Amino acid sequence: MSKEETFKMLSDAIVSCKKDAVEAAVQKAKNEGIAPAEIIEKGLAAGMNTVGIMFERGKLFLPHVMMAAGAMEAGVKILEADMPKDAAKKKLAVIVNGTVEGDVHDIGKSIVSTMLQSSGFEVHDLGRDVPLQDFIDKVKETGASMVGMSALMTTTLPGQREVIEMLKEQGLRDKVKVMVGGAPATQNWADKIGADCYAENASEAVARAKELLL
Amino acid sequence: MATEHMLRMGDGKRIFLTKEKILADLKDGMADAVDLGEIPELSGDELDKLLDIIIMPARMVGVEPGMEVPVTHDIGTIRLDGDQGNSGVGIPSSRLVGCMMHERAFGADTMELGHIDYSFKPVKPVIAQEMQTMEVCQQNMVIPLLYGAMPNMGLYYTPDGPFENPGDLMKAFKIREAQESMEHAAKHLTRDIVWIMQRMMASGADGVNFDTIGAAGDGDLYASLHAIESLRKQYPDMYIEAGMAGELVLGLHGEMAYNGTVLAGLWPHQQAPLVAKAGANLFGPVVNTNTSRSFAWNLGRAVTFIKAAVKASPIPCHVNMGMGVGGIPMLETPPIDAVSRASKAMVEVAGVDGI
Repeated sequence: MSKEETFKMLSDAIVSCKKDAVEAAVQKAKNEGIAPAEIIEKGLAAGMNTVGIMFERGKLFLPHVMMAAGAMEAGVKILEADMPKDAAKKKLAVIVNGTVEGDVHDIGKSIVSTMLQSSGFEVHDLGRDVPLQDFIDKVKETGASMVGMSALMTTTLPGQREVIEMLKEQGLRDKVKVMVGGAPATQNWADKIGADCYAENASEAVARAKELLL
Repeated sequence: MATEHMLRMGDGKRIFLTKEKILADLKDGMADAVDLGEIPELSGDELDKLLDIIIMPARMVGVEPGMEVPVTHDIGTIRLDGDQGNSGVGIPSSRLVGCMMHERAFGADTMELGHIDYSFKPVKPVIAQEMQTMEVCQQNMVIPLLYGAMPNMGLYYTPDGPFENPGDLMKAFKIREAQESMEHAAKHLTRDIVWIMQRMMASGADGVNFDTIGAAGDGDLYASLHAIESLRKQYPDMYIEAGMAGELVLGLHGEMAYNGTVLAGLWPHQQAPLVAKAGANLFGPVVNTNTSRSFAWNLGRAVTFIKAAVKASPIPCHVNMGMGVGGIPMLETPPIDAVSRASKAMVEVAGVDGI
């Protein structure tokens, strides 16, 4: 089996959302002498990308996303012994995510958190109606390199701008990327308030986070 | 230099494009809908008609004589009395006055009474107030007056409700527990909707408008379909309008089914037959606007989806048209050039029965 075929087998196993299939595929790839980092990046992570796209297209659903993420974890565990100490447990980056103060909408933001988490990021989901200072405090506490903010109402949207201002005032803006989203948010709004990116949906949020942080 | 025509981006920004570029965007938007929904393309004539509508020189356009359609209305009277910087214009007025203004001044063909929170669950503690207001409004009005609210199943999860938040459970890989939480919430939501509507019907309501079904995913749709079914059995003549929250039913549970059909992942043309089967009189399909694409791209996509929904629907379709839906840009007060063009396109090309 060529390397490309092995990567496809790994990716397909993730898309099947079956832990057994992923474990078997990882073992096979390992036996073929493929480096653990390649197995993860070009096989398992590529599969998770496909899972995210299929979720957005209504072909796979949230439980499947979680099952695929669980299967990926099981696959990575098999590789742990062959990787530098703690490398398997290392997350891509730390992201603080939440819905801004005054806004009780939770579901879209939770889907974004779930997709980021299942793509390998360490996500601290602050929930909804989050006091703006809490975003800053959590960034300081976790050393996060990105803040994600959702708002589903035009009345709460300005909270995103306020957090950016607070990050500047507290000397953190240069250390933290800011992603905004939610129904009334747009690329234009993101540009206007000085956010680093805008994401239209959960899979785009994952793509933008990878572009900015990796 | 080729003539350029004014249109907008999905975020409302004005742009100027040539006829060729507009047609290309219409085709791209259509192709996206065809790909996602596995539905037929628009014909060449229909694309030309959409192009004609977009490049019409008037700021505001209307349908051809004889093609007028009824307009139903949602969000109660909040458009008038809302004053929190949202889409309300902050005119202090009672809900009776608001309903009558929609009937007598704004030309609404149906109207609804809605509560300021506009979700079913918070109506329970103030049901007596809602019943009294419905009765007074009915005594003063002629057009069908429904009771309108959002199913909003999110209100049944912590911290707003009794059931553990499925989002938190999912993130902790507790998939079955998350699904059970949604199943419990759906049962309570169905029960609450039916309980509320029994009382509103006793107060003279002509029916119910379910606004933004599916906002909390497939469980939200499941609960709403069961509520529609139950109400239809109890009130054979009541008017039931079922409006959706978005174009795709998000699969948060993933396995909930109605009449043998899994609800997660359904597009408008797949939602319509189920809504009709449950007993609704009218279906309100939604297509979301992509703010990073042009009005032409969004309109081509929205009309393609809605045309397929109209074709598949055994009941009339009143398409949702407004801020961020139906090809209309995402703006607090959507620009009339885009609203009127998108509405004309929905009537004359997609063949909707109303708006």
